Amino acid sequence: MGEENRVVGIAEIALSQSPQRLVAYGLGSCVGVTLYDAKNQTGGMAHVMLPSSKLHSTEAPPGKYADTAMSHLLAEMLKTGSLLRYLEAKVIGGANMFASLTQSSVPIGLRNVSAVRQILGEMGIPIVGEDVGGTHGRTVIFNLEDGRVEIRKLNLPPEYL
Amino acid sequence: MGASPKPDRKPDQALSRIDMGQEPDIFNDFQMDALREIGNIGAGNAATALSQMVGRRVDMSVTQVKVLQTDGIAVFLGGMEQNVAAVHMPVYGEICGISLVFFPLERVGELCGMLIGKKEEDPLHLSEIGESAIKEVGSILTGAYLSALFRLMNLQMIHGVPGLAIDMAQAVLDTVLVELEQKEEVAIVIETKFLENDKQLTGSFFLLPESGSLKKLFTAFSKTFGFSGNG
Repeated sequence: MGEENRVVGIAEIALSQSPQRLVAYGLGSCVGVTLYDAKNQTGGMAHVMLPSSKLHSTEAPPGKYADTAMSHLLAEMLKTGSLLRYLEAKVIGGANMFASLTQSSVPIGLRNVSAVRQILGEMGIPIVGEDVGGTHGRTVIFNLEDGRVEIRKLNLPPEYL
Repeated sequence: MGASPKPDRKPDQALSRIDMGQEPDIFNDFQMDALREIGNIGAGNAATALSQMVGRRVDMSVTQVKVLQTDGIAVFLGGMEQNVAAVHMPVYGEICGISLVFFPLERVGELCGMLIGKKEEDPLHLSEIGESAIKEVGSILTGAYLSALFRLMNLQMIHGVPGLAIDMAQAVLDTVLVELEQKEEVAIVIETKFLENDKQLTGSFFLLPESGSLKKLFTAFSKTFGFSGNG
């Protein structure tokens, strides 16, 4: 493992275990979803860009879209020995930073958040923490020792979920 | 991502610090020279426009022109959590995409001083006039570089209404990359220095083209200069 932090880039999915932490820097309209298995002190994070793979035809990594990202992340967690009933999710991000660039009526950040919520609901995974929307970006640090998520925003003290 | 740097790459501390931001070799030396020339023409025009706007002489010069991979932009700007003011505009025409002009947040107060004659104390809560001035300077720079692309290579482009985001560099990029889903993997950067008397500031202009647009740029290079791209 070595590194203290594993960076989860745009459209990436990563799994790890304590003591390593999973970090997504500067989520804007993207959404970070964490799944935590407290029993095994393991977890995974997806850095989702867009709500649905069905609206797009190009080949893309599974982490890009909420639907493919969530099923991939869940499958990987189950592969490492986690049981569905132990998993808890947190959802962070989905800001609307550029009002002037928003072409659709519902900002992409919010559409990402609703897609993730709906999919987690279908999977039966409870959302135990959320920090979504707003107009500012977030850095997310997912601590796998206790499942705590630290959120850093521009010029504000860190918040915890 | 995660690739180790090429051994023959010249050392560049800012870029090698994180395993990202390798400069892709998609433009040859002639093409990079052409981009620099576009930078010089653009900076000259932007300086004229800006001096007219502020009623004082402001000089501008290009400090560097680069082509970066999109995941290396934040590193170029000083890190993913570097606080920035970013003026963003949609770009339409022969090359479509998004343009961004970044200023380090800690210099934004001074930039307002240069633009509106009154330094702003808190860059997180700019006055309305301060905000418009920053947007305007982003707009002037973008307009000048786009018209230089037209003058030198006959590529016709216009930009839309500017917006301003004050946030972490990576959060701005994260959002832009979502808006620009069909993007090329590279961005053209023209770093520009603003000089007024003894004061000096740096702003970085980025053009992030949509997918397919680079091909048009290469075609334009070969039409204008009689050589073609190697990418």
